[in-house]
Amino acid sequence: MTARVLAREIGRRFADVASLNATLHWSQAVLDREAARLDVTPEGPLTGMAIAVKDNIVTTDEPTTCASRILTGYTSPFEATVITRLRAAGAMVAGKANLDEFAMGSSTEHSAFGRVLHPLDPTRVPGGSSGGSAVLVATGVVPAALGSETGGSVRQPAAFCGIVGVKPSYGRVSRFGLVAFGSSLDCISVFGKTVQDAARVLAAMSGVDPRDATSRAEPPMAVPATRSDLKGVVIGIPREYFPADLDPAIRASCERAITTLRDLGATIREVSLPHTRYAVPTYYIVNPAEAAANLARFDGVRYGPRHVGPGADVRALYQATRGEGFGPEVRRRILVGTFVLSAGYADQYYVRAQAVRTLIADDFTRVFADGVDLLFTPTTPTAAFKAGEKTADPVQMYQADIFVAPASLAGVPAMSLPIGRDQGLPLGGQLIARDFDEATMLAVAEVLERHVDATAEVRA
Amino acid sequence: MRIGEAEVRHVARLAELAVAEADVPLLAIQLEGIVEFVAQLGEVPLPASTGTVAVGPAQLTLREDVIDPIPLVRGPESIAPVFIDGFFVVPKLGGMVDE
Repeated sequence: MTARVLAREIGRRFADVASLNATLHWSQAVLDREAARLDVTPEGPLTGMAIAVKDNIVTTDEPTTCASRILTGYTSPFEATVITRLRAAGAMVAGKANLDEFAMGSSTEHSAFGRVLHPLDPTRVPGGSSGGSAVLVATGVVPAALGSETGGSVRQPAAFCGIVGVKPSYGRVSRFGLVAFGSSLDCISVFGKTVQDAARVLAAMSGVDPRDATSRAEPPMAVPATRSDLKGVVIGIPREYFPADLDPAIRASCERAITTLRDLGATIREVSLPHTRYAVPTYYIVNPAEAAANLARFDGVRYGPRHVGPGADVRALYQATRGEGFGPEVRRRILVGTFVLSAGYADQYYVRAQAVRTLIADDFTRVFADGVDLLFTPTTPTAAFKAGEKTADPVQMYQADIFVAPASLAGVPAMSLPIGRDQGLPLGGQLIARDFDEATMLAVAEVLERHVDATAEVRA
Repeated sequence: MRIGEAEVRHVARLAELAVAEADVPLLAIQLEGIVEFVAQLGEVPLPASTGTVAVGPAQLTLREDVIDPIPLVRGPESIAPVFIDGFFVVPKLGGMVDE
């Protein structure tokens, strides 16, 4: 298939799934321009692969809104490092995917441009915050898409939509051009229809970048070699991820996957990560605090629309622009973040959360030092939930992150892959690896993917 | 801890965020719920030596002190709300006195 034919085909697919509201910006003209560029680009590791992009990663030929009214009309004057790398690798990068506003949410219901629908049941959510990217991969519009993770925003929608979602180690991929949300947590991450697709994209965009001081000076990741079995691999099952009240279908899907891992030759060992239960409250202090600081830049001065009457002073400009421009969840996070950092409360909340974050990271360090190569857990506590089910109670929505927040706080790589279905809805299993050991995680995931029937119902 | 409407207005001012009066009561309830939820960290016993976790490179290195401008495909005038003679234009500073 020539690049031009592929561009037309991708355009048709974007149009076909328009009712799911997964895409914020796409145009045939941009796709055709990408095709023309590829005609004169040497073949690379991603030649022939179309990749959609979460709309909080900047591109220069389509707007970047972060699904927020505060960035209406903004098209970046520069390109994210990951976009430059994917294009150089031969990918056709086009189409900006819907998300929770500024990536704040777990259901993609908090977009200023309307919620994203689950592809298998439109009354349900696709997960979030990278719900649009997940849906574009799940529906076969593109084989891979970029998302971003601050606390599970790729793994959780991957689980809900029945695809693969990989969060690399913090610092593995440059954040230059990712609109900052929680700077000590943010990771550009990737969805793939298969483990192999996700691994190829991650390999192409990984590596140190002088424009991101937090990117690590490590060689770019290589696509791991295919394994035939799991002999010699030690997989830890952390008991805190399997509480007594765990959803029976989630438990059944994980038990089936663990049996498969054992049958393939892996050594299964029960382990403990005792501070797991504190990950969500820790995350919901650190994250809003960093968000409140990062989002201070959206003030109506350098970009976006202004909301201020004539004769107003600069402070009225800030307050009115931000009050009009931010949606309800973003406002809540800014207020919580400002509160936990404010005089008289910072020690009680923010400083304490940083200390507990250290204990959570130490839990991972300890089990990996004790000879465990990987951890296996459920990705989510339930399958995709109904739209509107959790929007009235922010804390209930936050609890959806219970199994994904810990790895984000520790900065270690983690991924979700489909391991079964419950009443037609996909369920995800999570693998967590030691820092910068994506290779083991992806190689094991690829073996599991080949041996687990991800479309099989887990209970009769 | 109790979060009242006065606290919501105070924090909103600190955050430079206009909040409609009609939204304040619900925000107070929601913020109180969130703060109560995260306050459970108070029960975690902290070893005396607990440091602060640092993700990312063990040591941040300084880069060469050279100007390496990011290539822009369009100038700031194309994205700024008001941009005149090379400057971002803002209203007067009259309201910058802290309350």
